Amino acid sequence: MTEPAIRLQAVSRRFGALQAVRDVTLDVMPGERRAVLGPNGAGKTTLFNTICGDYPPTGGSIALFGTDITGLRPHQRTRLGIGRTYQTSLLFNGLTVLENLFIAVRGLRPGRFSFLRPGRGDEGVARARELADRMRLSHLLAAEVLNLSHGQRRQLEVGMALAGDPRVLMLDEPAAGLSPGDRPELLRLLRELPRSLTLILIEHDMDIALSATDVVSVMKDGVVVVEAPADRIEDHPVVQSIYLGSGH
Amino acid sequence: MRSRAAPWSLLGLAVLLALPWLLPQLLPQGQAQFWTASILGRAIVFGIIAMSLTFLATYGGFVSLAQMMIAGIAGYTLAIFVEGAVPRVVGLLGYGAAIPLALLAATAMGILMGAISLRSRDIYLLMITLALGMGVFRFIETNIAWFNGYEGIRNVVGPSLFGLDFRNALVFYHAALGTAALLYFGILYLVKTPFGLVLQGIRDNPRRVAALGYAVGLHRIAAFGVAGFIAGCGGVLSTIYNIGISPGSIGLGATVNILIMSVIGGLGHPIGAFIGSLIFTVLDTFAATIYDRDRFNTLIGLAFLAIVLVSPDGAIGVGARLRRLLTAQPRPASRVCGEVRSRPPSTRTAKEEPP
Ligand SMILES: Nc1ncnc2c1ncn2[C@@H]1O[C@H](COP(=O)(O)OP(=O)(O)OP(=O)(O)O)[C@@H](O)[C@H]1O
Ligand SMILES: [Mg+2]
Repeated sequence: MTEPAIRLQAVSRRFGALQAVRDVTLDVMPGERRAVLGPNGAGKTTLFNTICGDYPPTGGSIALFGTDITGLRPHQRTRLGIGRTYQTSLLFNGLTVLENLFIAVRGLRPGRFSFLRPGRGDEGVARARELADRMRLSHLLAAEVLNLSHGQRRQLEVGMALAGDPRVLMLDEPAAGLSPGDRPELLRLLRELPRSLTLILIEHDMDIALSATDVVSVMKDGVVVVEAPADRIEDHPVVQSIYLGSGH
Repeated sequence: MRSRAAPWSLLGLAVLLALPWLLPQLLPQGQAQFWTASILGRAIVFGIIAMSLTFLATYGGFVSLAQMMIAGIAGYTLAIFVEGAVPRVVGLLGYGAAIPLALLAATAMGILMGAISLRSRDIYLLMITLALGMGVFRFIETNIAWFNGYEGIRNVVGPSLFGLDFRNALVFYHAALGTAALLYFGILYLVKTPFGLVLQGIRDNPRRVAALGYAVGLHRIAAFGVAGFIAGCGGVLSTIYNIGISPGSIGLGATVNILIMSVIGGLGHPIGAFIGSLIFTVLDTFAATIYDRDRFNTLIGLAFLAIVLVSPDGAIGVGARLRRLLTAQPRPASRVCGEVRSRPPSTRTAKEEPP
């Protein structure tokens, strides 16, 4: 049997008295495309934070391809192959597109602390350019991030998450705030991701979530309430009550 | 990852180098000399110290009020160790050894300041660096054995360079200008290195920098070390310029002056420090003739208000605004302090950061 890419066992996270994630147990298999749905405040982002280490779990354990990563720091997890984007953009506004990507690439390599400019043939710069290319941002390499459109910022976010050649990519509402015109572009970028990549996607936009993923987990009040194939989820009674009944 | 402004900077530098010969064409001989020695020379020296503050603020988002004190550490180290200074404290080294030692001391002090203030930011960082600066100032002022108390140490005449005497105003001017240029271009180089980029990343988003695998603290401390070295260069030059050093030159007044220079020049680019120090020095020199000596504070206060009201990003911001007006370009989103940096991080990461 193959190891799951991500295995969560009874993962919990509290913030003071608030139990944001409660006993979540789930497996995501290598190459799987998983959507995490749920109403606002359900704990989706917090679940991501426990996996990538920004807010380590207060209970339970997390394994990446069979390796326990529960106690690791965020960048250690990044080096082991987890890439993520953030719900609210966390880009470096005063730097250019190329510089943002370069920082993301360089952070994973030795020689991170350096007083020397990268030379002509620098691998990190080459890799940053390649990522920009993949994200269709090559024409904006020298543009300051502050001046990018919202859609371009989202693309750059994905590019930075891919910097470490992750085996597991987690995207937190990549379509949030995108104009209808930008959505097909995003969907195409998602479909172009290599099939070997495991993808976990938080998305409020049902169309994007269901057309980009195979399996859906629905969260509510910190608990995963339903797990079902993407093509059968819309008819599920729990989902209907959450998405229609609660007037979301 | 290259910078573009180099040709203009080099042209400006060439003009400045030739200035001691250009000025006498425009001004009477006596006045031309006065400008070279007392205004431009002094402005460059203060500009270097102000640039250490500007460097930290522009690229790291750290406002440090300890930079004048750090310059003083370099000045005192020089005065204590160099032979010929009065009173003699150690007085064993020539300038060739005492100056590097002074720069080392300033760099170490910068690193120490960075380490002590590692966890503080914004107004707290400002207060902690001010407190440290004032603490050192008080200590120096009251310590006789090493620092000769409030009288300070005199007769630090400076070296002679290839047979050229530092006491010659022309030699001093060119030495100061050369140092300033090296440091200025050094900064422009540095900010495009991984260290410089990560520093700007810390300014924009420290949490993300850490998540990407960088040691935020190490970069922060190193930035304070670099700034300490820059301030130290300014401290050595100003001590030689004043033929000595006394606590008055690193007190609260001097500390605030450095801050004023940085702000009126503009915290968006290292060149702002020199523009600010030039405006400051000119006002300082001519306040007496324009008004009377005691009104200097009024005058600099008004200039400060005017510039900050017209252009929150200082004199370099005025320049950029004029250029845009003349060329009728739309206003690009500014990367200068007001908009990018001073936004509290909580607005960017509202959802992910605990209150
Ligand atoms: N850092 C934090 N400190 C305290 N409480 C937090 C923190 N992060 C999240 N929470 C709380 O945990 C709960 C779950 O939040 P979370 O952001 O995970 O929800 P979400 O499912 O991502 O919602 P949305 O769809 O709005 O993004 C919320 O009640 C939220 O207020
Ligand atoms: Mg969320």
